[in-house]
Amino acid sequence: MKQSVKQYLGAVLWIAALLVPVVASNSWISILSVFAIYAVVALSTDVVLGRAGMYDMGHAVYFGVGAYVTAILNVQYGIPILWTMPIAVVVSALVGIIFAAPIVKLRGDYLLVATIGFNEIFRMVLINDVGGVTGGPDGIFNIGAPSVFGYQINSQGGHFLVNWVLLGVVLVLMNNLEKSRLGRVFRYLKEDELAATTLGVNARYYKILAFGLGAGLAGAAGTLFASELSLVGPDSFVFMQSVTLFAIVIVGGQASIPGVLLGTVLMFVVPQVFRDLAEYRYLIFGLAMIVVMVLRPQGIWPRRSRPQ
Amino acid sequence: MSTNETTLLELDNIGISFGGLRAVDQLNLEVKKGQVVGLIGPNGAGKTTVFNIITGVYKPTDGRVLWKGKEINGLPPYRVAERGIMRTFQTIRLFTGMSVLENVLAGKHLLTHQTWWAGLLSIPSQRREEKQLREECMEILKKLKLDDVAHEIATSLPYGIQRRVELARTLAASPELLILDEPAAGLNDNESAELNKTILDIRDSGVTILLVEHDMNVVMNVTDHIVVISFGRKIAEGSPESVRNNPDVIEAYLGKEDDEDEQEAFA
Repeated sequence: MKQSVKQYLGAVLWIAALLVPVVASNSWISILSVFAIYAVVALSTDVVLGRAGMYDMGHAVYFGVGAYVTAILNVQYGIPILWTMPIAVVVSALVGIIFAAPIVKLRGDYLLVATIGFNEIFRMVLINDVGGVTGGPDGIFNIGAPSVFGYQINSQGGHFLVNWVLLGVVLVLMNNLEKSRLGRVFRYLKEDELAATTLGVNARYYKILAFGLGAGLAGAAGTLFASELSLVGPDSFVFMQSVTLFAIVIVGGQASIPGVLLGTVLMFVVPQVFRDLAEYRYLIFGLAMIVVMVLRPQGIWPRRSRPQ
Repeated sequence: MSTNETTLLELDNIGISFGGLRAVDQLNLEVKKGQVVGLIGPNGAGKTTVFNIITGVYKPTDGRVLWKGKEINGLPPYRVAERGIMRTFQTIRLFTGMSVLENVLAGKHLLTHQTWWAGLLSIPSQRREEKQLREECMEILKKLKLDDVAHEIATSLPYGIQRRVELARTLAASPELLILDEPAAGLNDNESAELNKTILDIRDSGVTILLVEHDMNVVMNVTDHIVVISFGRKIAEGSPESVRNNPDVIEAYLGKEDDEDEQEAFA
């Protein structure tokens, strides 16, 4: 399929999705609303993991930083939700950059271990209520809903629309990334760092940039997550969440937008729909991951090498 | 020959040790603007190590690398590349899973102006630049007769073509000095004859070339000046004719039986 056709198809699907609140039941609206948030986080994980090729298994941290920044600013300082988003993005991106700076020179598996450690530190910080702002193990309650042009959004449908607008924006950004020098440089670094550096690529700069970009986007999703649930707690941003994000990218298809979206559906939507099977959730996922990796190591919906 | 006397690259007494192994020792080498300089020697002589030192992949243990009179040893590879020094690799290093065109676009990295956020937002000037980059790269591909395969996955192409893609990638960067590590390795006679012509064309376009090569057909036909090293030390240098008749060189090549040793101290 031609790239432009794919883009139009994607746009049509996105517009069709906006009609979901009109026709679907409340539980479906809620599921797809949260899907949009997790899809953004998964796409942001993919920037670091699938595109720049760094084994980031602590990506839930940046999602959490964004959610907590919004929660604290909204509950304690009464700042409107959407105004907290740029701050959440900047703070998450800075956390990503500061954390990445000393570790990006580490090779694959070593970097992975460092990111796991970082995720654990983040969890401990949240639980122990460092600075007295995170609310400890209980988290933060009564987070407000966004207001758009002075109009307060309280309905499930309203949240849905805001979340899907963010997803739409992030999809456009990812699509642009593919066609820019930045996107290519990430791939060069992933495929052959030595060759890339001898052509003038400053590997350290671009790797830190990948972390900053991925973290910033996850932070934006964190803002909407806090508002959607109206509460945040440490459990949503633990190591297991990072593992799930990692699996979404690997199982879905690295650096493939449809692949990552499909992975998000499999990991977040399917379990919601089959609630009765919740107990078997990780059993089924575990098996599915093994089967996919053995039979289709490039992911279910891999990136097409799509030279233009 | 348009050789004027400006020295581009100078290796001043460089040496490097890996553990107890002295891979390069007290080596002096000079490359003048417009020259094609050949670096030859038996397997394991340290030729690739010299290239890795020049391009910043290795840091020399002693000595200095001078580019237009300024020290560049110790700079990271991307800083060396910024000075206009581009290289190919003995074992071809193309970007896996990417098309020929995308591989060659990598050479344009330093000549591209778009910022990262311009790329994300896909602003008009960024799109114009992308279009222009592609056109420029297609020109280079055409010159190297690679335009037919521009959209093929580079690493799935025959070996000889991959070598040309790697060359195209460095040419895309408009280098001042081109460093070729065994450009004829794995090529058949036709291809290596073609390579001779390509190298001379590149030289005529004003690019200075330093190459390592085993194929004497290439070395003797394209170089102006040859430096011979053995066990990390320079044993001879001069014009192709003088080197060919030098008894030390003949002994280094024919007098030893350890040609199996493919180790070039290359990590």
